[in-house]
Amino acid sequence: MDFQTLILKLSSYWASRGCLLEQPWDTEVGAGTMHPATFLRVLGPEPWSCGYVQPSRRPADGRYGENPFRLVKHYQYQVVMKPAPVDIQDLYVDSLRAIGVEPTEHDLRFEEDNWESPTLGAWGVGWQVLLDGMEITQFTYFQQAGGIDLSPVTAEITYGLERLTMFLARKDSVFDIEWAPGIRYGEVRRQDEYEVSRYGFEAADTGLLTLLFERFEAESKRCLAQGLVLPAYDLALKCSHAFNLLDARGAVSATERVGIIRRVRELAVGCAKGYVASREGLGFPLLPKESPAPPPDLSTAEVFPPPSHEIPLPDELGEPFPEATEEA
Amino acid sequence: MSEFLLELLAEEIPAGVLASARNDLLTGVARALADQRINGTFFVHSTPRRLILFSRDLPEFQDDHPVEAVGPSVKVAYDADGRPTRAAEGFARGQGVAVEALVTVSTPKGDYVAARKVIEGRPTQDILAEVVPPVVRGMTFPRMMRWGDGRHTWIRPLHSIVALFDGLVVPMEVFGIESGRVTVGHRTLAPGRLVVVGVDDFLAKLRGASVEPDYSRRREALVAAADRLAAEAGGVPSPDPVLVDALAHLVEWPGLVRGGYDASFLDLPDEILVTTMREHQKVLGVRDAAGKLLPSFLAVADQVSDPLGHIVRGNEWVLKARFADARFFWEEDAKVPLEERLERLSHLSFQEKLGDYLMKTGRIQQLAETLCDRLAADEHAGSVLVAARLLKTDLVTDMVREFTDLQGVVGGLYARREGHPEEVWQALYDQYRPASPEDDGPRGVTGAIVALADRLDTLAGFFALGLTPTGSKDPYALRRAALGVVKILLERSWHLDVPLAVKAAALLQPVLPEGPDPVVKELVPFLLDRLRFLLERKGNRFDEIEAVLTTDCSDLADAADRVAALSAVRRREDFAPVCVAFKRVQNILAQASGEELPREVEPALVTEDAERALASDYFQAREVLDELIGARRYQEALSVMASLGPSLDRFFTEVLVLADDQAVRRNRLALLKAMRDQFFRVARFSEIQG
Repeated sequence: MDFQTLILKLSSYWASRGCLLEQPWDTEVGAGTMHPATFLRVLGPEPWSCGYVQPSRRPADGRYGENPFRLVKHYQYQVVMKPAPVDIQDLYVDSLRAIGVEPTEHDLRFEEDNWESPTLGAWGVGWQVLLDGMEITQFTYFQQAGGIDLSPVTAEITYGLERLTMFLARKDSVFDIEWAPGIRYGEVRRQDEYEVSRYGFEAADTGLLTLLFERFEAESKRCLAQGLVLPAYDLALKCSHAFNLLDARGAVSATERVGIIRRVRELAVGCAKGYVASREGLGFPLLPKESPAPPPDLSTAEVFPPPSHEIPLPDELGEPFPEATEEA
Repeated sequence: MSEFLLELLAEEIPAGVLASARNDLLTGVARALADQRINGTFFVHSTPRRLILFSRDLPEFQDDHPVEAVGPSVKVAYDADGRPTRAAEGFARGQGVAVEALVTVSTPKGDYVAARKVIEGRPTQDILAEVVPPVVRGMTFPRMMRWGDGRHTWIRPLHSIVALFDGLVVPMEVFGIESGRVTVGHRTLAPGRLVVVGVDDFLAKLRGASVEPDYSRRREALVAAADRLAAEAGGVPSPDPVLVDALAHLVEWPGLVRGGYDASFLDLPDEILVTTMREHQKVLGVRDAAGKLLPSFLAVADQVSDPLGHIVRGNEWVLKARFADARFFWEEDAKVPLEERLERLSHLSFQEKLGDYLMKTGRIQQLAETLCDRLAADEHAGSVLVAARLLKTDLVTDMVREFTDLQGVVGGLYARREGHPEEVWQALYDQYRPASPEDDGPRGVTGAIVALADRLDTLAGFFALGLTPTGSKDPYALRRAALGVVKILLERSWHLDVPLAVKAAALLQPVLPEGPDPVVKELVPFLLDRLRFLLERKGNRFDEIEAVLTTDCSDLADAADRVAALSAVRRREDFAPVCVAFKRVQNILAQASGEELPREVEPALVTEDAERALASDYFQAREVLDELIGARRYQEALSVMASLGPSLDRFFTEVLVLADDQAVRRNRLALLKAMRDQFFRVARFSEIQG
């Protein structure tokens, strides 16, 4: 199967299961989770189900197009369903059938893998899904986003599209997979990888990026103060990307790193609160009309502590494959 | 005899919690039923999606239960003629017994009437319906989650409950799920519904639907398959019981496939290949008779067949990619020697206030130098300095970023590749040993010294910041670090003055708000606690340990020697009496604690025979003891002390210590104090319990 057919089949499958088809977000993000269709929509009581492709950028994973498994920019297919249907795992297994994987002929396992993003003040529990020993999907029940406990709970399913195509096509290099019949991924993207790697590691103007970070941060706060949640969030994403570039450039010391992650988290937390307030002001318009159910009462829910926020090593590399997890 | 079956079907439960979840369910249900006077034999099984509990020998009803309700006092209950009063009648009516059936019971407050009844046992089925749901809801796990509307908290979403008592559904509800008699088979191989009527039917139907409920059977199947497949490849499975345990928890229908990889990868160090297979892919390596890795691996699958070879090929593909990555790191890292990586440690934070790893390296070097000096290990000083400098450099290699668990080992492998002498590369390699109480410390002297310096630095730093472990919380693994210090000192019989070493480590810290003394005051007892823990593990008795640890223990290895000697000597017949006698010595000296005693015993004031005998025995023993204790020949020293028991006993029988004559009295006390001070250099054996 080629790359675009995989995308088409996933889109068509999840659309048939009631998901709205969103489109990629147009600000740089490190993972599909940062798309407002996930990060903001998981908040509050309104139901929400969607699927989309999200190009995700991780400057530190750049290898100048020379490593067969690592990319700065890779593509994730992201599905979120709120509330998660009871049969969400079955729906997921069916999605594999839809892309031509007959589960009975393979080994399919759900192994514990919890997720957290210090920059988003978000965490969840779930699994990595292994197909014949290969991690093809990250499956997460969101517990918290922007520091807010989530209810109802969203399920997030993230497919790493390149690695899934590589695996299904048994290609040893991401650049050898077919994007469309007759044209390979490498022919479309390899030069990009070379250029963005050089930019990220050698050329990026760290003075400018530092300045941009400060300006974007201030602008985000200014927007938030005026109740402009989405612009504020977009600017928070810009901060996050500026930070990732600085990090790849080795311009962030370990101590600064902790501080910067905290600053981005503060923006994300502010946006999350602002979003919930704004939706509430609108009367949570996506709630079913006939029964405007109040947000579920969390007071009876058992309290449990959030996980510790471990800060990764300063210049931590990503996973060896363009994979379905997330970082800053 | 009745049978009970409970199955909780959930989304995949993390492998790491299944064993304890099984146990919690078993003890929770058994205890709740026992509280209700229902006892039976319970069995538990687990798969990734199921917790199963059953019993075949439950009573159909609770035991009948005699109860006694105490009513009014006899005086109130009966009138002067012995006839029941209205109070008695009212009480009897309230209790549902005839007034004639009331009995008299005596209590500390006087005689009262009481009603005795037998409460009939209720059906076990009803009790199960009441007690099981709270047990399930109350189970706790390391990381819980909410799902659905977020009201419930458990390990993963619960999907169904089978609860049958002699074939009948025990009605119950947990997290909004009603119990029934329907479960499902294997997620992909047999996902259909299974309607079950009892324990045997349930187990048989699960097995028919590609689910082996019994963990130990799954494990056995994996072990047998591993042996068979490895033999076909001319080898044996690389022994890894912990991994096999984990694998058996990951599947419902255990299968194993054998795959291969390019023999050229065998050029990579064993440690890296094994870690890749084990940590990243959870597959077992295969070794030949000589223990050498063969280019084969064994991968678990949640099904037994692989007709199209997908499972083998998939695993081979992934492992190849992983190995290729490892080789890439191994070759890339070679381009920058460890020495040149030192500067980069300044970008790696150790702890916000304790600085980066370059600063830590500086401290380790200085402390290691001091330790070399104190331990008279000057001939190792050269290699210690090199090892200390390079100790943390592997943290800034690609290999360690990828294989975090191999930190230290990677440094050692790289140092060996760079041609550093064995003392040095092994010191890097072994720096995190001992990793557990069972593990040995570093192989060489150099390794032991830098490992000590590294840990003492970490401990002193965190203690200086007040970040000490509390209760079960030890986020910086300081207990393990302290245990490492103690184990290394004991293993090597290194007689280090620990308070001094701790002080030296503290003085190097960048943050020392109140000087080094508070660190010494807190950290030394923390280390002694670890020593106590180790000695207990060795089987030493509590009183032996306390007898030694309440003396001066600045030298931990010496303290351990003394505990060992005490443990050996206490079995001697003459030892118990001297311990008892010393309890008296302690008591008397405590009574006279305010008195100023002469430093030396004045022979002219020694008047009575028994006193003279004791003084003479003691003065003879004193020199011998000095010599024995000086030579750390504690067992012999203790024997000598024990031999003084009879004279001491006689002294206490015949001599009045607290004599009226103040000079005599003080002289006698001085003799006892001299003996005590001498003896307690080894142990306060007044602490020894007979």
